[in-house]
Amino acid sequence: MSPLLHTRRRSYTDWLLVTCLALSGVGLTVSWAWGYQQESRAHSPPSVSTSQTQHTVVPKGENHLGPACVVDRFFVDEVWSKLGERVCLKCHQDGGDASASDFILRDPSRDRTKRAEVLRQNHIAFQRMAAAKHKGQSRLLLKATGHLEHEGGEIFKPGSTGYQILKDFARRTNHPQQKDQERDAQIAANIPAFFDSIEMMPPRRLLRRVTLSLAGRLPTDTELALVHREGLTAIRRILDDVMQEDAFYERLQEAFNDILLTRGYDGSGELALSYEHFTNRLWYQERDPRKGLSPEEAKKLPYSHPKMITYTKLIGDYREGMRREPLELVEHIVRNDLPFTQIVTADYTMVSPYTARGYGIYERLKDKFADPDDPFEFITTKIDSLKLRNGKPAQESPTGFYPHAGLLSSFQYLKRYPTTETNRNRLRIRMYFEHFLGIDLLSLAPRVNDAAAITAEYEIPTMQASDCVVCHKVMDPIAGLYQEFYVVDGKGIYGPRKEGWYEDMFSPGFNGESLPQTEQWRSLQWLGERTARDPRFPVAMVKHVWYILMGRKPMLAPEDIDDPLFTARRRAYRAQQGEIERVADEFIHSDFNLKVVFQELIQSKFYRADGLAATVRDPKRLAEIDDIGLVRLLTPEQLERKLTAIFGRKWGRLTDPESKFKILYGGIDSKEVTQRLPDPSGAMGAIQRILANDIACKNVAADFALRPSERRLFPKIEIDIIPGVNPAADEQIRRAIMHLHELILGRFDSVNNSEVTRTFDLFSGIISDSKSRAGISKVESYSCQTLAEKTPRDADPDYSIRAWRGVVTYLLRQHEFLYE
Amino acid sequence: MQRRDILKLCGAAGLSLSTPIGRSLLGNDDLPQGELPFYGGPYYVVFNASGGWDTTYLMDPKGTTESNRLYEQGEILSEGNHRLAPNASHIDSGMSNEDFFKNYGDSLLVLNGLDYSVNNHSPCSRYMATGKLDSLSYPTFAALVAACNGGEVPLAFLTFGNYSSTGNLVALARVPYLNSLNRLANADGVQGSARNPYHDDFVSERIERALQSQMQSRLLKRRLPRVERSQNMLYAAQLNSKALQRVTPFVPKSSPKERLSRQADIALASFKAGVCVSANLTIGQFDSHSNNDRDQMKLIPELLAGVDYLLKKSEELQIRDKLVVIIQSEMGRTPTYNDNQGKDHWSIGSAMFIGAGIKGNRVVGATDEKQFVVAVDPQTLSIDEHNGTQIRPEHVHESLREFAGISQHAYSKSFPLKVPTEQKLQGLFSNDR
Repeated sequence: MSPLLHTRRRSYTDWLLVTCLALSGVGLTVSWAWGYQQESRAHSPPSVSTSQTQHTVVPKGENHLGPACVVDRFFVDEVWSKLGERVCLKCHQDGGDASASDFILRDPSRDRTKRAEVLRQNHIAFQRMAAAKHKGQSRLLLKATGHLEHEGGEIFKPGSTGYQILKDFARRTNHPQQKDQERDAQIAANIPAFFDSIEMMPPRRLLRRVTLSLAGRLPTDTELALVHREGLTAIRRILDDVMQEDAFYERLQEAFNDILLTRGYDGSGELALSYEHFTNRLWYQERDPRKGLSPEEAKKLPYSHPKMITYTKLIGDYREGMRREPLELVEHIVRNDLPFTQIVTADYTMVSPYTARGYGIYERLKDKFADPDDPFEFITTKIDSLKLRNGKPAQESPTGFYPHAGLLSSFQYLKRYPTTETNRNRLRIRMYFEHFLGIDLLSLAPRVNDAAAITAEYEIPTMQASDCVVCHKVMDPIAGLYQEFYVVDGKGIYGPRKEGWYEDMFSPGFNGESLPQTEQWRSLQWLGERTARDPRFPVAMVKHVWYILMGRKPMLAPEDIDDPLFTARRRAYRAQQGEIERVADEFIHSDFNLKVVFQELIQSKFYRADGLAATVRDPKRLAEIDDIGLVRLLTPEQLERKLTAIFGRKWGRLTDPESKFKILYGGIDSKEVTQRLPDPSGAMGAIQRILANDIACKNVAADFALRPSERRLFPKIEIDIIPGVNPAADEQIRRAIMHLHELILGRFDSVNNSEVTRTFDLFSGIISDSKSRAGISKVESYSCQTLAEKTPRDADPDYSIRAWRGVVTYLLRQHEFLYE
Repeated sequence: MQRRDILKLCGAAGLSLSTPIGRSLLGNDDLPQGELPFYGGPYYVVFNASGGWDTTYLMDPKGTTESNRLYEQGEILSEGNHRLAPNASHIDSGMSNEDFFKNYGDSLLVLNGLDYSVNNHSPCSRYMATGKLDSLSYPTFAALVAACNGGEVPLAFLTFGNYSSTGNLVALARVPYLNSLNRLANADGVQGSARNPYHDDFVSERIERALQSQMQSRLLKRRLPRVERSQNMLYAAQLNSKALQRVTPFVPKSSPKERLSRQADIALASFKAGVCVSANLTIGQFDSHSNNDRDQMKLIPELLAGVDYLLKKSEELQIRDKLVVIIQSEMGRTPTYNDNQGKDHWSIGSAMFIGAGIKGNRVVGATDEKQFVVAVDPQTLSIDEHNGTQIRPEHVHESLREFAGISQHAYSKSFPLKVPTEQKLQGLFSNDR
């Protein structure tokens, strides 16, 4: 047994403990209860020195999944998971409505490195309440049912699931029985490892998935040979190289925009810069070919004129560069292996030769650009502290520079998430929590008793009404940190609010720490520093990469405790969380190198899971593995890249600016449409049919027109090879199909594989049908000929070009092509 | 092999009929156009006034100086049992309250005093759309009813915005452009031309048969649940997308300027063609923290004009009697103005319902003069200030599920609202108790 999974007993409740029968999966340690640290250490968790700060991690190699072996199984799985965490904790914690009561709990998810200890303390708190009696009855039960002046009222009705769990817990606490221990041990013994019977993707297919996903290309022969020789271990080395490719950074920018949506701010790109501070933001107007011309002369320069085309491109490139800046920061950090904490701490920003002009700092920087005419060459720099149009300072700055704090102070981020007089920076803070700490603030206290009545009852509800305070005491201090960047609707002066900061809000600070007056001018830097050392930050970043790779966010914790599959779903949830936390620790160990997160998650069984080794019929097990497997519908951008990788040219209709398919096919515009569609509607099914038809049409005859050595699709077959003539011809066709299966679907089939046979039957069936029909043309369709101007059209005497076109159409409609 | 034969295989393979492929294969024997799925109604349309409408300028008038600067109490109008804020003299375009209630009051059910409990856009939108405040996983009513009644049709749940979670029950469809419908309708024709197909007929048939054969073989294989679901959904999406051919005759030649009308045209063409069950129609910018009256006088008439457009066009298409319309917003606005002549978020609001099976000329629930909720007796739906129930979105959704006949569907049961029996609103829509 792994030393990590040894039995541990607690002296204070020996009778409660069960043997920790954590089972070891294949490379992933899994234990019987559905979550939580399995071990409470006598020593403090180790800390890791990083370039930024000290971060505490779970000891390397330890299990992030496991249950609290030191904490009672029944408590963890039943009492805490179903009731304590979901109900009791909301009030019974420091700062909560019931913070003055004797029953105080702590949130184990607040700091994963202390989870076991926190759970242990919570267990004790519950035990005390269960053991305490009032007129012979457990106070725990009486309080939960609304007696003994429980201010939260009746939480559980007698007979409800919640009540029954508490009743069982009270009985176990007050009248422990040997059979409890035996039952728990029995349950533990019967639970399989989490990835039991799950097959992993073979390394060769995994390689294709990775290169297509991250670099938009097929694996090279060298990479395939390496994986053939070394298996999974080769993937890590190959990934190191993939993450040097420009295509990876294109993907990275696209993916982080999916998360941050910074491209979606209102108006044209240069409007990220307020005219109050950046009077040069319209610098391009100086280059307008129509400048100085009379209206009559200007009319002679339509937009189709070469000078106007150049000018229009210049504007477009400038605006595009401006929108990209926050994402360029992400790229810069990752490309240079810098600590990813710099997304909130970088004391610089990224500028291109064009955007530098917008900031009015081009002259200062022009010698630093390798190519001053490259609109997308980005370098790091600091901009000057903000000034008003009259030259007077808009912000205090002892250094003379704008207090850059990575994305926190990015004008694009501030513009994308603007504020209003009533919002008071709170939208920004909601997004800050979501983007950098992985917290949905609005889930902290989803229901108040009567929001309208509270509003009327209190003078300042957000500071006085406990229903409101629960969120606002977290949110408003950070909103105050943005007071130096207050600008209504993203237009006007970035600086302190004219009337002074709101006094009816909690004072500026973070997590209980007040902002010192001396730090006010650099409040976002102060916030960034604290964000970088918050234990939630690395977990949130891992979840971002999880989203990038998986195409969906990690699972949410199950909610319905009456659901008979709750425990199974909870196990699945905790298994994911455990893996995410394990990777978070690797991330910290690497000094926040985001590439390590990609490496770790790609090696993870969650990414590699590919099939079932045995049929599963047990509903509980089915619920556990419900979310296993990548199985992601490719986005329009991914699909275009895949088409380019396979066919050597893009289709364009999914992503070109003038195409209307992008949104129809589940894409986003970063502004109005911000969530990608995970499942195909009928509309998307129609687009898949259009794509398959059109790509086959454009590429089959064209491929046959090339010399065999130049062909991608049909390098080893000619159109005069038709089925049923002789066995050699049939085998040649089958091998051509094998090639197409590998190229388009990523399948590595044998010549007699059933899928090869199915495709062969399609090909031969089409040819057979064509021969039985009168009036069939002997040339390829006009629409699908090699070149539009070619005359005569491609000869197709045996209908084989069109049959191969049918085959390619068929393959392009398949799951293996449209999903990853 | 016929699809019904595949259905048998689905059963043999333990494939749940909850997946689209299963549903799509049901009942094909009596479908028009061969085996392509067809949904014949009722159709559900949810209008969203996104940002939070000012109900005191529509169906819950107050007329006090603090609440409404554009009219006084004595100017409040009535139409049947409805009370409405006068606004005809304050609007430049769209449909006035006066005209709307005059035209539709008889068939309109107004629900006032709806308690959203919180006053943030995101949770309120979720709550109002799903009936569940504290969950991110619940489907909207529009998605749920689409999944229960016709998840197999290609645009079962059509959305133009607002909270649109599907609970993974049905694929969500976005069709933002009217002319896209024509293009999608002829996916097998070059440039969408039905007269110029990519493949000869026999080739297309061979391709479909090969895909069907492949699907059939996969049903018998061991698959991860996610793989199984996605393969089934993909197969159904492509196969059933052919039903979009039926849309073409109903796509208007030109597209109207008004944003809701454009959305309505797409939804109506899809309903009429039998390819859609429900649609989320939405306009935003109701969040009038500044200049409340100016913004609400622009947007409320635009919203009502959109509803009017939908109803009139549905009559022309002869589906009005199958249409159920829900008109809602995620919150109301404060009873008083702020310093910017605006109104902030208010956790109490209203909703309106109109359409097939809904008994109109009724107002259920109320707010008091300060715009606080007045409780309702769930049994009688009359005001019961002291012993009644505060109507919340879960009460409305529980009733909606009952009304739509899906409350006992497995999908609904998998997303329970848990409204106590004694709080269920009896006869909210039909008033038949």
